[in-house]
Amino acid sequence: MEKKFKPNIVGFLCNWCSYAGADLAGSSKTDVDSSLSVIRVMCSSRVNSNLVLSALLWGSDGVLVAGCHPGDCHYEKGNYYARRRFALLKKIAEVLNLEPDRIQLSWISASEGKRYAEVVNKFAEDISKLGPNPLTSNPKV
Amino acid sequence: MNKKIGVYVCECGPNIPERIDIDKVIEELSSMGEVKTVKRYSLLCSNDGKKFLKEDIEKEELTHVVVAACSPKEHENTFMKVCEEAGMNPYLFQMVNIREQCAWMIPDKEEATSKAIKYIKAGVHRVLFHDPLKQKELEINVDVLVIGGGISGIEASLSLAGPNRKIHLVEKTDSLGGMAGKLSQILPHQGSKIKLVKEKIEQVENNENIHVYTSSDVKEVRGFLGNFEAVVKSNQENKEGIEEEIKVGAVVLATGFEMFDLKENPVYGYGEIENVVSALEFEEMIHSEKIELKNGKKPKSVALVHCAGRKEKGYCSKVCCLYTLKFAHYLKDNLPDVDVKELYMDLCLPHKQDQSYFDQAKEKGVEFIRMDEVEKIKKSGDKIEVEYRNNDKADKVSVDMVVIAPAMVPSQDTSHLAELLNLPLDKSGFFKELHEMLDPVATPMEGVYITGCALGPRNIPESMTQSHATSGKILSSLIPGRKVKPEVKVSEIKEDLCTGCQTCLSVCFYGAISYDPFKGVSVVNEAICRGCGSCVGSCPSGAIRSKHFTYYQLYQEVMEALR
Amino acid sequence: MKNQNVLVIGSGVAGMEASLILADAGMKVHLVEKDSLIGGQTIKFEEVYPNMECATCMLAPKQQEVLQHENITLYLLSQVKKTEGSAGEFKVQIEKKARYVSLINCIGCGACYDPCPVSLDNEFEQGMSQKKAIAVACPGALPNVPAIDADNCLRLNGKKKGCNACEQACGFGAIDFTEKDETINLEVGAIIVATGFDQFDVSGLAQFGYGKHPNVYTAMEFERLYAQNGPTEGKLTLREERPIKSAGIIHCIGRKEKGYCSGVCCMYSMKFAHFIKDKAPEAEIHEFHTDLCIPGKSHQRFYEELSKKIDFIRYEDVEVKGNNGNLEIIYTHSNGKRDSIKSDMVILSPAMIPSKGTKDLAKVLGISQDSMGFFSTQDQNLSPIDSEKEGIFIIGCAEGPKDIPDSVSQAEAAAGRILSLLQ
Repeated sequence: MEKKFKPNIVGFLCNWCSYAGADLAGSSKTDVDSSLSVIRVMCSSRVNSNLVLSALLWGSDGVLVAGCHPGDCHYEKGNYYARRRFALLKKIAEVLNLEPDRIQLSWISASEGKRYAEVVNKFAEDISKLGPNPLTSNPKV
Repeated sequence: MNKKIGVYVCECGPNIPERIDIDKVIEELSSMGEVKTVKRYSLLCSNDGKKFLKEDIEKEELTHVVVAACSPKEHENTFMKVCEEAGMNPYLFQMVNIREQCAWMIPDKEEATSKAIKYIKAGVHRVLFHDPLKQKELEINVDVLVIGGGISGIEASLSLAGPNRKIHLVEKTDSLGGMAGKLSQILPHQGSKIKLVKEKIEQVENNENIHVYTSSDVKEVRGFLGNFEAVVKSNQENKEGIEEEIKVGAVVLATGFEMFDLKENPVYGYGEIENVVSALEFEEMIHSEKIELKNGKKPKSVALVHCAGRKEKGYCSKVCCLYTLKFAHYLKDNLPDVDVKELYMDLCLPHKQDQSYFDQAKEKGVEFIRMDEVEKIKKSGDKIEVEYRNNDKADKVSVDMVVIAPAMVPSQDTSHLAELLNLPLDKSGFFKELHEMLDPVATPMEGVYITGCALGPRNIPESMTQSHATSGKILSSLIPGRKVKPEVKVSEIKEDLCTGCQTCLSVCFYGAISYDPFKGVSVVNEAICRGCGSCVGSCPSGAIRSKHFTYYQLYQEVMEALR
Repeated sequence: MKNQNVLVIGSGVAGMEASLILADAGMKVHLVEKDSLIGGQTIKFEEVYPNMECATCMLAPKQQEVLQHENITLYLLSQVKKTEGSAGEFKVQIEKKARYVSLINCIGCGACYDPCPVSLDNEFEQGMSQKKAIAVACPGALPNVPAIDADNCLRLNGKKKGCNACEQACGFGAIDFTEKDETINLEVGAIIVATGFDQFDVSGLAQFGYGKHPNVYTAMEFERLYAQNGPTEGKLTLREERPIKSAGIIHCIGRKEKGYCSGVCCMYSMKFAHFIKDKAPEAEIHEFHTDLCIPGKSHQRFYEELSKKIDFIRYEDVEVKGNNGNLEIIYTHSNGKRDSIKSDMVILSPAMIPSKGTKDLAKVLGISQDSMGFFSTQDQNLSPIDSEKEGIFIIGCAEGPKDIPDSVSQAEAAAGRILSLLQ
C-alpha cells in the first residue's frame, strides 16, 4: 500500500502571540499535526518574501506565517506589514506555478492554544489535499 | 577557532522521555560534525542542573551550546545566564523547544522523536551561524525637558526636579498655569482650592532645579533616551529670536488642549446672539463674581448646554458634565431664584463621587433635560430659545442666558510637535500613547512621554496623576550614575547593499532609522531599535539584517525542516 | 524616606505595573497577592476594549517580568495582617498560606490534576467549570504551578488520611503536604494598595432573574464564556448548548443601589455585543442602557460603529422574566413606551464594588473607606492616589471604578511619587 502523503510545512510564528499560543496548545496537551515545523521570529513582519519563497523553492509543501491579531502587535504595526506583504506573495506563488493556498497568514493570540491547533491541523489537511509541492515533485518545473 | 558544540537534552522529569526517545535523539545528534558532546539530564533548570551545565561547558571547552528542553519563554534567559557564567558569549546559545511544541502536542512517540531530532538539528545548524553579540551600555543625561507650563507640566516638573536632576520647563505664553489657571474653582470633591495652581507656580519659581522659559518654543529635538538635544527659541520681547541649546535625557509633552470653536457650527448662535456664552467665559464671570446679562441685569433663567462639538469631533470630552454641574451649583448657591436647566445627551459621571454631586444639584432644583441634539439656539424677544430634539420629538426651552460647554480639542502645537518628534497622532488629533492600555504616558520614541490633555480630554486630578506617572517612568529609567542598556538583537544595514529608497524609514514605528543624505543610505540607531525586524521584511534590496534572526540563521531552520 | 523597600498589595495590572517600575529603579518590592496566581481580574478577559486586544498577549510578558525580576519578592496566597509605624518605617506582618506545591520544583506539567479524586467549582471560572483540589486557575495561569485547596483536599481536610494521588503522579517531588502557613515580617518605606474590585452581587435583584434562569449571565461569567482558556474554550453557547440567536445586554445593574456610575460598563457591554456578533453574526442583540458613559477619545467611534449592527434601547426600567425556557426582557423606553422582547441570553453588567477584603485591610492599614466602601483618598488636594496616611498610596480600582489605562497611570504615578521622594 502506498504511504499516505505527509506534507512538510514551515511555520513562522511571532514570539509574542502565536509562539505563545503554540506553547499553550502544548501545555494544554492538545494534539497538533506534526507536519509543521515551527520557526520563531520576533514579529511576523520580519518574515520577508525571501524566507517564504526560499522555503517553497526548497520543497516546503506549505508555509504558514502567524502573528498577533490586528491591533495586538507587540511592536504596534508589524502584523499589518506582514499582511500587506502577503498579497504580493500570493501573486508570486502563482507565477511560480504554485497554488496560492500553499501560503497562509493567520492571527493567533497567546491565549488561543486551541485555535493554534485548529489552524495548523486544518492547514496540514488542506496541504495534504493539494499534494506535494509541484516544484519538487515535478522535475520539469 | 574550532567550533565545539554541546547539545543538552533535558528530560524535564518524565515529561519528555514519556513521549520522546531520548536515546535515539542522542544517537542521531552524536553523528553530527562539530557536535562535541550530547548529554541528557533529568532537570536542567534545577540548581543541580544549572551547575552540571556550567561545569560541563567548562570541562568540554564548548564554544556553542544547544539546550533542548521546554519553551524558550520559560528558560531561555536561565540558560543564557549559565552560558555566560561558564565564560561563553550568551548569544552563542540556542534553545530548542521539545516539550510544549513537541512532546506535549505530538501523541505518537516515533513522530515526536523524529520531530525533536529535526528541531535539535536545526538548532545545531543555526547556532553555528550565531554572532557573539554584546550588550552595549550608554552614558546618560538625567535632566528633563518639559514642554507646556499648564498644571500637567508644572506637576511633572515638580515631581522630577531633584538635587541631581535639572528640569527645563518651556511655556509658549508669558506665564505658567495653562487652562487650569483660568478656572474659577475646581470641583468640591476635588478640592475647591484653586489657589493650588498658584501655589504650585510659586513652588516652580522657587525651585532652583527648575529653569522656566516663558514665551518660548521648542524648535528642535533630536536623540534618544538618555541623550536628547533640544533647541529652545525665545519670543520674549528683549530676547526675541535667541536660541538656546539644551541637553536632556527625556522629554515630557504637556501641551494641553483648546476648546472647540463654537463658531464652527452656526446652530449654537455663538458670537451672534447676546448672552450666549462659552464655558470659559462663564468661568471668568464666576471669577469676577459677576453673573450678569449684557444689560447688567441678573439672569432669571440659565440653560447649560452640554456636548457642543461632540458629534462634530466624534468623542465625549468627559469633563463637561461635571463642570456644567459646577456651574449649576454655583448659580443655585449665588442666585437662589435662578432657574437652571441642563440640556445633556448622556450624563457622563464616571468617577465614584460624581453621581452624588449630580444628585445634590437635582436636590437644589436644577432641571435636567435629555436631548438627542441641539437644533438651534436663537433669539426670541428678550429671551433666548434653545430648540432641541428628544426621542425624535422637537421641543424647546426659553431662558435669559445660555452657557455652552464645548468639546476639548488638541492644542494648536500638537501637530507641529508630532512632526518635530516623529510621534503619531490618533484619529482625533491628540497624541497617541505607545500602548493605550499598558503604556498610557509613553510614546514610540523611548524617552519621550506625554501627560494630561495632550493625550485627550481628562480632568485635573487625572492629568496630575499622569504627570506623576511620567515621573515614575523617567525616574526608574534615568538614574544618576547608571547607564542604559539598549536592545541587543537590533537591525543593522549593510551600506553597500542599501539603495537609499527609505522604505525602512516608513515602516519603523520607533523612528530608529534615519537617512544619511551624504552616503545615500539608511542608518539604524541601535539605541532606539527594538528588534522587531519590520525593516528587514520590507527592504527590497535585502540590505538589512536582524541580529540573531538573520536570514542565514532562519534559513538553517527552514532547511532542516525540509530535510 | 531612606528605606528602599516597598510593599505592594495586589498583583493585578496596577500592582504589577507599580512593582515593575519600582523594581527597575532598584527598589526592593514585596508583592503580596491573596490568590495563587498573578494578574488580577484583567487576565480573565479574552480581549479588552476599544481595540479588542488580547489581554493574555498584553499581560503575559508583564507577568513573566514580575516573576523573573530580581528585585521583586512575590508572596502568593498571602495577606497583610498587621502594620505599624509610619512613612519610611512601616512594620508589616504578612500571613502566607501553604501552597503545598513547590514553586521551585514544579515545572507545570499538570500530571497531578487527573489523579486527584476531588472535583470542585472553579471560582476563577465563576463556577462554570470544575477543577481538582490541586489545580491551576486556568490554562496559562502564571506562575504555572498548581496549588492545593486545603479545605477540599481529602488528605489535608482529614477525610481520607494518606491520600497521596498527586504526590504519586508528580515526577519532581514538588508536592509537600508538610508545608506550613508562614508569618513574614517586613520593614518597608511605603505601601501601595492595589486590591482591585469585585462585581456587585446581582442575585439580590430578583427582577433580573439571575440564578433563576440559567441563561442570565453576569458580565464576568460572560467574559469567561468567551475566553479561549475558559470553561467552554471560547465556544459561545447557552447553558443547554443551544446556539445564541438573540441576546440582551443590560447596563447599570446596581448603579441605583450603589449610588455611582462605574464608568466602564457601557464600553465592556458594547464589547460583549461585538463578541457575540463575531461568533454568531446572525444574532440579534439589544443593548439596554441609560446614559452612555463613553468618555475615552476613541470610545464614541466604537459605539457609532456598533450601533450600525445592533439595537440600542435607552430604558427607564427593565426586568427579565422566564417564558417557557426562553427569556423575555420587559422594559420602559425613555420615551415612556412599555415594550418587551424575547431573548435567548441576557447579560447583566453590574457595578464595580470594592474587593472583598477592603474593610479588613483598611483596618490593618489604619486608613478609612469612603461612603462607597473604596479606600478614601485625598481628592480635595487633587491627589487621588494619596490615602490619609502618608506613605500609603491607593491605586487602580481599589480607589474607585476605572479602566485599565487609568489604573496603569495611577500605578506609575504611585511609583513616581515614591521615587520622587527618594531623589
